[in-house]
Amino acid sequence: MMTKLINANTLKSFFLKLFVFVIIVFMLDRLAGAMLKNFYFKQQAGSDYLTTYVIDKTTADLLVFGSSRAANIFNPVIFETQTGLSCFNAGRYGEPIFYHYAVLKCILKRYKPKTILLSFDAGSFNKNQESYDRMAPLLPYYNDHPEIRDIVTLKGPFEQVKLLSCIYPYNSLLLPIISGNTAYGKQKSTHLKGYIPIADTFTGEKETIDYTKKTMLDNKKIAAYNAFINDCKKAKIPLYIVCSPYLINSIGTDASIIEAKKIAAESSTDFFDYSRDPYFTSNPRFFADFRHLNESGVEVFCNILIQKLLLPPVKYFF
Amino acid sequence: MLFNSFHFVFFFVIVTTVYFLLPYNKRWLLLLASSCYFYMAFVPIYILILGFTIVVDYFAGILIEKSTGKRRRLYLIISLVANIGILCIFKYYNFINTNFSFLLHGFGLSNPIPYLSILLPIGLSFHTFQAMSYTIEVYRGKLPAERHFGIYALYVMFYPQLVAGPIERPQNLLHQFREKHSFDGDRVFEGIKIMIWGLFKKLVVADRLGIYVDNAYSHLHQQDGMTFIMATIFFSFQIYCDFSGYSDMAIGAAKVMGFNLMTNFKRPLFAKSTGEFWKRWHISLSTWFKDYLYFPLGGNRGSVARTYINLMIVFVISGLWHGANWTYIIWGAINGAYLVFAIITKKYREKMGALIGLNKVPRLNLFIQIVVTFILISLSRVFFRARSVEDAVTVFEKMLTFKGSIFNDGTAIIIYCFLAMFMLLIVEFKREFYMGSFSFSHNKNFWVRTSYYSILVLLIILVGVFDGGQFIYFQF
Repeated sequence: MMTKLINANTLKSFFLKLFVFVIIVFMLDRLAGAMLKNFYFKQQAGSDYLTTYVIDKTTADLLVFGSSRAANIFNPVIFETQTGLSCFNAGRYGEPIFYHYAVLKCILKRYKPKTILLSFDAGSFNKNQESYDRMAPLLPYYNDHPEIRDIVTLKGPFEQVKLLSCIYPYNSLLLPIISGNTAYGKQKSTHLKGYIPIADTFTGEKETIDYTKKTMLDNKKIAAYNAFINDCKKAKIPLYIVCSPYLINSIGTDASIIEAKKIAAESSTDFFDYSRDPYFTSNPRFFADFRHLNESGVEVFCNILIQKLLLPPVKYFF
Repeated sequence: MLFNSFHFVFFFVIVTTVYFLLPYNKRWLLLLASSCYFYMAFVPIYILILGFTIVVDYFAGILIEKSTGKRRRLYLIISLVANIGILCIFKYYNFINTNFSFLLHGFGLSNPIPYLSILLPIGLSFHTFQAMSYTIEVYRGKLPAERHFGIYALYVMFYPQLVAGPIERPQNLLHQFREKHSFDGDRVFEGIKIMIWGLFKKLVVADRLGIYVDNAYSHLHQQDGMTFIMATIFFSFQIYCDFSGYSDMAIGAAKVMGFNLMTNFKRPLFAKSTGEFWKRWHISLSTWFKDYLYFPLGGNRGSVARTYINLMIVFVISGLWHGANWTYIIWGAINGAYLVFAIITKKYREKMGALIGLNKVPRLNLFIQIVVTFILISLSRVFFRARSVEDAVTVFEKMLTFKGSIFNDGTAIIIYCFLAMFMLLIVEFKREFYMGSFSFSHNKNFWVRTSYYSILVLLIILVGVFDGGQFIYFQF
């Protein structure tokens, strides 16, 4: 039947042209992908450089995980001075629990930190597609770190197909790669062992957030959070989960924080909730915006947190 | 199912392969089944709405053909009421109710009519207009009624243009379902190339610009004037690439299977006047309104004032077609006013051009005309993009300050935006002004054009936006 409908010569010519097209795309993809990979891992500045450093190089005793509220709030210098432990802030802007868990898995394969702090945000377990899209920074590590593949594939049903391309892991990373390989990128880099200070002071009005509205929680995020705790337990690494202060008037309590506290309690993990600490919520001068403490707020908060962690029984850090 | 998803890639490859393997007389069945699947991938239950209008219009077409006089008119009205009725319920009910409440509130009364909690079926306005054009054409006697129910259903549901057009006319599309489309490798490649260019416009240009524009409009009060000036320019490019990118993918997908869909965009960025813009932008809708609304209203055959009124009616309804919000109505009215103003001032503008000597410098004249048209169209689109009239007014107020920075979300995003626009403009400029000259995309040398499209694919993978990104026109 097929020969009646389709001329054999036409079909042959079509498939030959298609084959040539696919081969050219394949070869260019390999070539460009190899170049991008080379320059990606040569970066000396930027968020991707910090991720590579945390995954492949750091040997710090104390590691801080979390989103921008980790990167902007936990100052490793204060932790090092007060505890005598080397510290690195592995926080990355906008990243969800999937990212932190994937990075933890890579680190545990290489070495065992003495202590881990996980910064927890309100709304961390809320269902949204963005959290899955935000796993893109893990793509360059997919091939060399098989331990994170099951997490990365949560990004989408066709992620494994997309990852057949060598360019795809570096999608939208061309400019950061150029920046990270130039003096300009180094000049722009302001982090102190992963900590990115903010000098601004909040000048607006405090917002009121109503947490009583029903929120859908994402079971995959909760599972990743559970796995993060369990992996630390298995590796016998003390884990402390901290929810740093917000400058808001809240009605009710965030459903993610309630759930995270419950899970932490079930696994005997300490959860320090400063999200509504009156000392901070009544002091806007400690904040850069309603989610992030500024440098002076960080100084106060880190010292308060460390004092709490150093209280007897001295189970923390050692 | 989005055209820019892997779900569609697999769907398209499977459907196209089976399509060419099936005997000609069985292909309509495959296309109809695959179109149903395509539509049901969004909200399955809404296929019933589509089914209802198909049944009504199918029988209306036959009854219109068979009858004469008032009865013939009655069947047409029944068909139009069914189509417009569904559109009103799903798209305009809550809008009308809100305005009714507002009106009653003015008299100190409360509105007892409840609101409906329903989702707008994807592409409702598109397939409704396509279905209406069928019964109108049968009524006008320009088309025999389609007796084959499956073929008629396919005319309304043909998956490449089901959810965002082009809004096809029955004279162009219906007969194609009966034609024998044999496998033609060159035509298949031509279709794939059109799809790749559409994908480039969507993922590399539209979705990239969308990041900047969405950021500006979702944090309205935190942005500066310069950010909104940039966002206004970017939005014009974004909506063009989003919508024409979809049209390209639809046209390309249909072409692969041997169907020719109508051209929907003719490089509107290079329009020299607002009038010309509407001959280049969303052509299938513009011509629909011209044939089925503007001409029946009298077009330009009456007095000058009547022509202006007709233009305003058409553009206000066109605005309403886009969405149930005052922003769309104002957007339509502004564009209608542009046309009226252009007709009124035509002589004076020509005199002015001659007076300052612009006619002697045709390239400069052309450049100024293109830029002015772009600015006018872009400014009207502030209403199109804003969530409310208040938001649009805020954007205009901020723009007029000319203050602040254009980097609302870091420098990288704006560099990507400019690069994307630059690549688009290079290709469009070449196609507009140097059509016959050297071309990578249609080069006679197989290796040159294959390399060109290979690089285009790689650019899509490297700088395309893969996360999220619905097509803007799906909501209409």
